[in-house]
Formats: sequence, structure tokens, C-alpha cells
Amino acid sequence: MNPTLRALNGFGLGARPGERRRVTDAKGWLHAQLHGDVSLSVTPPEGSSSAIAEAVHAFRMAGQGDDQERREARQRARRALVGIAAAESSAALTERVTTERPFVERLVAFWSNHLCVSMGAKVLVAPLAGSYEREAIRPRVLGRFEDMVLASAKHPAMLVYLDNFQSIGPASRGAALGGRGQGQRRGLNENYARELLELHTLGVDGGYTQQDVQELAKVLTGWTVGGIGRAPGQQMAPKRARQSRTGRPDNGHIGFAFQEALHEPGAKTVLGARYGEAGLEEGERAIRALARHPSTARFVATKLVAHFVSDAPPAAAVDRIARVFRDTQGDLRAVSAALVDLPEAWSESARKFRTPQDWLVAVLRAFEAAEVSDRAMPLLRQLRHPLWSPQAPKGFGDTTQEWADPDSLLNRAELARTIARRLRPSTLAQGAQRIDPRMLLDVVDVPAGDPLHALLADGSIAADERIALALAGPAFQWR
Amino acid sequence: MNRRNFVRTMCLGGIATFGFPIVNFAQTKGGGRFVFVLLRGGFDGLAAVVPYGDPAYRSLRGAFAFDDSELVALTETFGLAPGLAPLRELWQKDELVALHAMAIPYRTRSHFDGQAILETGIDKPAGSSDGWLNRLLQVMTGHRSGIAIASGMPRSLTGPYEVQTWSPTQLGAVSDAYLDRLGTLYRTDKVLYGHFESAMQQKDLVGEEPMAGGGARRGGITPLMQAAAKILRQDGGPNIAAVEFSGWDTHANQGVAGGALDRLLGQLAEGLMAFRTDMGAAWADTTVVVMTEFGRTARPNGTRGTDHGTAGAGFIIGPKVAKSTVHSDWPGLGDRALFEARDLKPTLDTRAVLKGAIAAAFDLTPAQTDRVFPGSSAVRGTYELMG
Repeated sequence: MNPTLRALNGFGLGARPGERRRVTDAKGWLHAQLHGDVSLSVTPPEGSSSAIAEAVHAFRMAGQGDDQERREARQRARRALVGIAAAESSAALTERVTTERPFVERLVAFWSNHLCVSMGAKVLVAPLAGSYEREAIRPRVLGRFEDMVLASAKHPAMLVYLDNFQSIGPASRGAALGGRGQGQRRGLNENYARELLELHTLGVDGGYTQQDVQELAKVLTGWTVGGIGRAPGQQMAPKRARQSRTGRPDNGHIGFAFQEALHEPGAKTVLGARYGEAGLEEGERAIRALARHPSTARFVATKLVAHFVSDAPPAAAVDRIARVFRDTQGDLRAVSAALVDLPEAWSESARKFRTPQDWLVAVLRAFEAAEVSDRAMPLLRQLRHPLWSPQAPKGFGDTTQEWADPDSLLNRAELARTIARRLRPSTLAQGAQRIDPRMLLDVVDVPAGDPLHALLADGSIAADERIALALAGPAFQWR
Repeated sequence: MNRRNFVRTMCLGGIATFGFPIVNFAQTKGGGRFVFVLLRGGFDGLAAVVPYGDPAYRSLRGAFAFDDSELVALTETFGLAPGLAPLRELWQKDELVALHAMAIPYRTRSHFDGQAILETGIDKPAGSSDGWLNRLLQVMTGHRSGIAIASGMPRSLTGPYEVQTWSPTQLGAVSDAYLDRLGTLYRTDKVLYGHFESAMQQKDLVGEEPMAGGGARRGGITPLMQAAAKILRQDGGPNIAAVEFSGWDTHANQGVAGGALDRLLGQLAEGLMAFRTDMGAAWADTTVVVMTEFGRTARPNGTRGTDHGTAGAGFIIGPKVAKSTVHSDWPGLGDRALFEARDLKPTLDTRAVLKGAIAAAFDLTPAQTDRVFPGSSAVRGTYELMG
């Protein structure tokens, strides 16, 4: 095991040519990346909050009508939403490919997937997923875990994705006004509360009951989205609802709104703790309590160690990370540093199969690509790992079993061949005239005696095919 | 060495394979094969298995009502839409059960929730990330191997039991020489070698001819079903498959005979019949179930289409059905009979049908099928539909 390559590939996002010589202190290189704030990524013009609000507004205005004009308006609006998603995806992937702090970018991707939203689930999530990662996740990956969960809970992308925006306290004033509107169930929606417990904090075996789910859902009633023109409270008062279809929110933007009228009144009890009626504060307190729960430390530590060390996370490593998590009250900078210091992370057996996103990003970093166009998105879809679009709130997995299936290996073999064939000097950094396929031995750990050495040096095989062999071969599939 | 020889050499060498264990057919208990065809988008059961004998049919469907002469009559009440006419042969050979007024066990008109429920096999949209086919693989014993014939891993197969995937090649053509060289590289990797070997075997089995570049979409489901047959007919290979066919969300201009929906039905029928032909002798122990996440509104909408509804139709196909029949506790189409005054009312739970079908395919006990569909013990499987 080469420690530098382990740092560059296992903790980072893929080595670039020459880096294994430039980085002399593997752990020091990783620790240094944890200093200072996380750089805010560039917001693409399409992803500005006013652009998003405008596109969502147009989509809402297009309405449900069946006439030709409305159908076309709806299609145009849908295209605008998808356009935002495409621009945001390109920007996020470009960041991963070009970053000088790849460890931090891996953490962004990890936490964004841990607290995932999915563009495949609801059309309204599509324009919001990029801003979700940028605004809720990224600034907090070296901050406090509870702040990140809280920011996630209040982001419109999450509120929409897991339905909390339409959850209504059964005894709230809003419910009393409402009844059944527009064929939709009016009342408590447990979806977010359940996933918050099961997937974001305590974990499925973390020791909560169905009663806790329900009570937590009540605590979180009233947490909804302003500015999407059809908040449940507005639906409930028909006259105002009609106005709101045409009206913009006060500040013109889409954002978190607490609607007292939808909030379930009275005291609630979650995990044995009593939350007296306190409106918005109840939920904030409850979420911080969940994030500080001992089960959360263990659940999060297990997932982190599995991501950075091995599909079968060693118990001692999990214990150590869970302890740091507890001792620092979820300080993710300290937790991330502790991951680097795990002896298990530097053992021979510590390795992970690259997910399709990892693989594609590593390929592009190996060639020092300057940006990622939105043409990468359909490729990721064909590799079954589209950005911000897991099939379920659990997010994408990161185990060999999930990704190393036969068809996926063949897909990578095919895509590697296509990529290698299309490499042009103009797409390469520093105006390189041609690539020596052996440069790829620089970015992955290939033991002496591996047949890849001979193949890459074999001048009877076309250079682009040799490059493809390196990208598709087993050495490049591991990090 | 060409790729075929490469694969053969590896098999003869006795090197452990992951995907295609060589199992003597005689040792394979049951020897069943099962295919779950998911029609994504909500297909209009009333336009497929047509209740032409229902007194309210014509007034309710209006311009969408078929003439009796266009239908393949199955019973005095039900007939197949013209696009499904090729299935007549299955009906005559006692290999077709048409299911009607069937729905998932949760009332939703959301594609997302509906598909989640149908694919996880539980009765609410959240609560399980495992698919019911994966649970089937965990619960059953004997030879079993699952494969997704789809461009993504369907929820139904997701879970801890390892499954394979096969999708049409769309990422670029590769030569045998290139794959042979890759094989040399993979031979050094103990973990990945078996998977790579399986990939080469699948590629050999299925070939690439009809599939390149979106051909699957243009050709309907037939190329996918033919690929599925090539994979499933091998003894000792995958025996549980999930296939997806989308495009059923017919909000507008679905048409009648020869219309957009009828053409889709024609592609479905053609695909199912091509699968039957290509399975050859293996068809004898194969069962296919066709389902969708929800039916559509009973009445046409204002754009000559239908909107998201509740109950709909489906099919069980294969020699293991007891006899050809239309299975339905038919609720009728009268105004009072409709669910929420707009949709066909559900009287049959998708899980009941699936329990019966998998029990027959793999000799499962009711206790086992209950484990495949957690929380469904009160839902009796329709075991009587299967022989």
C-alpha cells in the first residue's frame, strides 16, 4: 500500500499525474485540507435564488389545465427547472474534478448523500438540489453535525422531498379550517420525521418507536416552504389560495417558513424528552437532541468508517470515531481529522470500490479536466449513479456489493473505451500533444508484476486502447 | 484467444464464478423461473382488459369505448383491447390470467409512492428500502439468482441479496481483443474476477445486435424481453428477473383502436409473445406477472386521455396458471361503484396475486410468501389461480 496514493484516492477524489511525488506527507496533506472554512462553491447563474424562484413560479403558474397553451407552458417551465438542475450538477462535479481540497469535497459528497434529497422523486426537488448541497451541506461539513441536520431540515429541498412542507398538525387551527382539499390527504405526514430518525440521526436500530416518529412529526408541523405559491395554509383558505397562485412570496425567494397555524399545539414527547409548546423552537431543540443522541454518534461513525476504511468497518475504528463525535458534540472537523488518524485507514485491507461517481471523477482528475459539462449527467445515469437522484431516502450505497456487479464492470469497460477514444490534445491540460498511457501508473496503486505494466508498455496496442485498459482495469476501480 | 474461448477456459478451469454457478438442472428443486414486468406510469386497465359487458361501460368511457367487434372476447364481460390480440393464443392454451380491479394496498395517485409500494411490497410508501424480489431471493431456498433487465437497478430488486444487472449497451462499442486484455487484468483481482467473468458470459449469451443506442425504446419491450429470454433460459443461470416498460402515463391523446395506448399495448403483447417463443423448452416452468403502480380515471379527461386513478388491470402468464380466466371481484362501473366517484374501485390486492404466483413458481409455503411481503399475513394469496 502506497500511503500517498491512499490519501489521494481513498480520502481524496483521485490522484492527478505527478501528485504522488509532490505530496510527501500523506496525513499532513489531508490534515492541512481541514484548516480554514470550506470554500463556497460558485453559484451558477441558473442557480441563483431569484432564478430558481422565477422558474418555480412559472411552473406553478402553468397550472394543471389541459389545453394546448397550458401544456406547452408547463413543458417550458419543466425545461427551465431541469436546466437549473443541469447547471448545478455541472458546477458541483466541476468542483469535485478541479478542487485542491479533494478530501473536503469527498466530505461534501458524503454528507450530501447522508442527508440526501432526490431530484427523481418530485419535480420541485430538481431546481433545489444544487442549492441544497451548496447552502445546507457544504458550509457545515467542518462544522457541527447538528447545525448541518438543522440546515437540512429547513431547506426547501428537504421539506419538499420528504413531504414535511405539507404536514399539518391534526389539532392545529389549519386542520380545523381545512378538511380535504384537492383530493389530498390533509394531516400529519410522518415521512420526514421517520427518515430523520432512521437515516439521518439515530439509525434504524437506534432505539426509537413508532410513537416517537409520530410525536416528532407533530413537533415538526408548521415547518414548511414559503414562496412556492401553494403552501398548505394557503390551500386551506380558498380565497387566499387563488391569490397566492399569482403572487410572489414577500421577498421573491423560496425558503423556509414556519406557519404557526399548521403547528400541532400542546406538549409532545420524543425519546422520553418532553417538549412543551414552543412553536418553531420545539423542532430546533428536538433536532439538536437527536443529533447529540449516543445512537447517532455510533450510526454516523459506522457509516463514516465504512466509507473511508472498509465495507466491513472495524469495530475499534468505529468506537474511536464515535467517541470523538460524542466528546466534541459532533464537531465534524475533529471527526474528519480522527478519520485520517485511524491506523485502520492505512492498512493493506483498507480499500473501497469506487462508486460510478467516484470512478468518473477520478478519470477526469487523472486527465486534469478543467470542467465537467452537463453531458456527464446522462453518463452517470447510465452508470446508475445520477447526481442527487437516489431511488430512496437512504441515499446511494458505497459498497463493493452494490456497485461491482457484472453489468457495471462492462459499462465501465465500454465508457472507458469511449472516453479514451475521444481524448484530444485540446482537452488536456498544459497543451499536451499526446498522452503516454504509462502516466496512469502514476495515479493508481499497481503492484510490480501486475500485467498492466506490460500492457501499457505494449506499443502494438493503440495508445487510446491502452489508456482505456488502465481506466477499466481492476486497479482503477479501487480507492 | 477470443472471448468465447476465454470464458470457456475459465469455466473449465473450475475457478469460482459468482454469477452463473453451474447447477445440474435435475438437482434444482422446483426449477421455476419468474419475471416481473413493471409498466411504469400507470397503465389504463380499462383500455386493456375491456369490461365491454358492463352496463355502464359505454356511457362512462364515451369516445373511448371500443366496438365489440374490435375486441378479443374473453368472457361475456371482458375482452382484450385490439393491441393485445396476440395474447389470444395464451388464452386458448390456458396460460393467461387477466386480473382486474387490482391495486396496491395504499391509496395514492403519486407515481413515486405507487411504484415504491408496488416494488417494496409493503403497504405504505416509506419504511422499506428493500424490494420484494430481493426479499424473495432471501426467503426462498435452492437455486436462485436475480437479474434486472433495465437501465437502472429497479427498487424491486434492491437489497442485501446480490443480484445481477443487464442493460442494453449504450456506452460504446468494444472489441473482443480489448475485453480479452481486460480479462487478463481482472484475473489478478480475487474480488472482481468472477463479476467480470459473468459480464463476459452475459454479453456472449445476449449478444449486442438489436440493442445499441436506444433501439430498446424504439422497438418497445421486445428487445428487452428477448434479452431476458436468452439469460433466463439457461439452466443454472438467473431465474428471477425484473423488466421495466415505461410510457404508460397517458394524460392526453391515448386514442382508441390504433391509437397511442393501443400501439403500446401491441408492443407489450409482442414482447411477451417473443419472450415465450425465445424461452423454448424453459417456458414450461416460467411465470410472468405484469403490473403497474395504479390504474387511471374511469372517465376520459378533457385532453382525450386519463388521469392518475386507483385500481387497474394486470396479467399472470405462463403454463403454471391453473386455467385461463379473468380474475376479478368486479365492482362495476356505475357512478356509485366508482372509488371516490372517479376511479375503478380496488377489490384485489397486488400482493395477493404476487404471493400466489411466486408460491407456484418456486414451491413456497404461505409462511414464506408472508415473509416476502411483510405485514401481509391477512392478505390471502390467490393460490387457486395457479395449477
